[in-house]
Amino acid sequence: MSESTFFMLAFILYALAAALYFAFLYSKKEGSAKIGFIIALVGLLLHTLALVLRTVESGHAPFTNMYESLSFLAWASILAFILVEGKYKVRGPGAYLLLIVIALMALASSPLMPKEATPLVPALQSYWLWLHVSVTLLGEAFFAIAFITSIMYLAADAKEKKGETPKSGLTAEKLDSISYRTIAIGFPLFTLGGLVFGMVWAYKAWGNYWSWDPKEVWSLITWFVFALYLHTRIVMGWKGRRSAAIAVIGFLAALFTYFGVNYLLAGLHSYA
Amino acid sequence: MKALLDFFTSVRVAITLLIILICASIIGTLIPQERSTQEYLVRYGQLSTLLQRLQFTKLYHSFWFVALLALFAMNIIICTLVRLFPKFRRVFKPKVEIESKNILSLKMKAEFKVGLTLAEARNEIKKELSPRRYRLKEAGAEKKHFFTARKRVLGWFGSDVVHLGILVILAGGIASGLAGFRKDLTFVENRTLPIPGAEFSVRLDKFTTEYYPDGTVKDWKSLLTVIEPGKPLLQKTIEVNHPLNHRGYVFYQSGYGWDWKHPSLEIWVKKKQAPAYLKKLSLKVGEKTVLEGESLELDVLQFIPDFVLDEKNQPTTRSLEPNNPAAFVEGWQGEEKIFSGWVFAKFPDFSRVHSAKETDFSLELKDVNAPNYSVVQMAKDPGVSLIWIGCGLLMAGLFLAFYWPTRELKIILEENQGKTEVIAAGIAIKNREAFQTEFENIINSLRKRK
Repeated sequence: MSESTFFMLAFILYALAAALYFAFLYSKKEGSAKIGFIIALVGLLLHTLALVLRTVESGHAPFTNMYESLSFLAWASILAFILVEGKYKVRGPGAYLLLIVIALMALASSPLMPKEATPLVPALQSYWLWLHVSVTLLGEAFFAIAFITSIMYLAADAKEKKGETPKSGLTAEKLDSISYRTIAIGFPLFTLGGLVFGMVWAYKAWGNYWSWDPKEVWSLITWFVFALYLHTRIVMGWKGRRSAAIAVIGFLAALFTYFGVNYLLAGLHSYA
Repeated sequence: MKALLDFFTSVRVAITLLIILICASIIGTLIPQERSTQEYLVRYGQLSTLLQRLQFTKLYHSFWFVALLALFAMNIIICTLVRLFPKFRRVFKPKVEIESKNILSLKMKAEFKVGLTLAEARNEIKKELSPRRYRLKEAGAEKKHFFTARKRVLGWFGSDVVHLGILVILAGGIASGLAGFRKDLTFVENRTLPIPGAEFSVRLDKFTTEYYPDGTVKDWKSLLTVIEPGKPLLQKTIEVNHPLNHRGYVFYQSGYGWDWKHPSLEIWVKKKQAPAYLKKLSLKVGEKTVLEGESLELDVLQFIPDFVLDEKNQPTTRSLEPNNPAAFVEGWQGEEKIFSGWVFAKFPDFSRVHSAKETDFSLELKDVNAPNYSVVQMAKDPGVSLIWIGCGLLMAGLFLAFYWPTRELKIILEENQGKTEVIAAGIAIKNREAFQTEFENIINSLRKRK
């Protein structure tokens, strides 16, 4: 079977898993979320196969154009979701994260994204491509989870204030704590992959570790926003709504760094 | 002075600075940076003067942005130092807690009795905590004993190490800005260029472009020889992503091009009346070539790699790529110019050759070639090593801050009628849940000891 078959199968399984997670949210029967979790896990395995096949066929890392990098970001998000759900045993955020993953997969498979594997331009022929992109996107996947738990926090907090229990069954406090913990994983990963590995590679390929290129500046902005999150939280004791709002802004900044900069701002990072 | 110190120690000021830096950085990505005045005039009209005066057009190097960064650095230094000294005191001069009520006011706590004497209980606590890698500070009083036990104390310094890393990176940036320099060296093969400010020179021995089967560029490679005074020292092929590093100078493959001032042109001469007639000539610009067997002399006056007419209808080149190569050729018979005009490699039927008199010759530009040159960027950047040290500190600090949580226990033992009362509490700023589990394990294990 080919790479695209595995990709489509993974896509279908993620959609199925999402349906089961939403069934759980409405029925409160944990069994359906448990099956959803296993289906997402199988999807992840097939998706991994798709990425491996892509790597073998193209002879380079599977994130050198928008199709590949969207697919990889979806893969990393599922991986992050499985790790977080496995560790903290929380079922709710999975439903919404799977929605984001479905959007990423749909965008990747849309006709707008050229799918053919092209040979690498000279600047991308480096093992730093693997290190820089994979670690950065994995970090961003954790930001995506924090984004979801932060929005869920805002909803849960509003409900709790009215004296109702939140739909996901998770307390606002728990959601706030998961947001912090996922950022505590995502932030070091993003720093390492995005900024440190990015600087090392820029120095090796372009001869300059920092050029104030729009993508560089936006990754710095993202980093500043999460630095703001950590400082307001740890030093000033902010929690809850304000913290959640900063986490949401941080993810949007990461999304713009990943996606928006390519389409709206010109710069050195013209590949993907 | 006090007000100034208060300003710099304030976390609110730090956060305000961070927000201003974020906003400024965003503006810098929305306005294209370091373009020409004309481009700004076209883009922003009247506003362009204001933008340039406020240095929004070279924002990241503007006076005010650099000043903001300096304030930010100052804030980091002072905030970190102010918090560092109490931390040092806490680490190197640990205090024991002697007030039970202070321990019992903490969240994570336990209070129980064990059937041991004070000395036995003290021993049991040591036996319990040492394998768990806690370091103990003890103090005794009559019928009482106090402990402070901690592990992973380095975790307290995580944020300080991160801040130090950022400062070192900023210092590296300053060093790069002040003492770093870059220069493009343009080499044709066998050319030797002296390296400015250095004792050596570099020669390009060979330049090759490798292509994929579909014709796109796979790589550029330059074989360079470093020549120390008098003798060649070393030879290395550089390519994109694989620079040469010599005595703090780094040489990058950064580009390539053709030396269009010295092209070699292949021109075919045909005769309209004699279809079998064909002469293939290899011509150079500025060289006259006599056509054998004919009284015709060809002279190439000009060559353009990417022919286009400018607004004044004058021939010019659009780029340095050979997209539309064209040569201006004159044909002479003795003292008489019989034709002159442009011939195009891509459009053989569209030659603009004007004849002074009826002529049978037609020209085709079949092939153009020029010596390749290699553009090698030379960089000397004394800030780089600081940047890598800073990055290392940054990552180490983040690891300590998030994954090396300090754990601290305060314990009071009090002997009472042959039994010992244990009052204990756990203190953790981060990762409380995990500590809670360990704390309970410790307490349960201590309870069982008789």
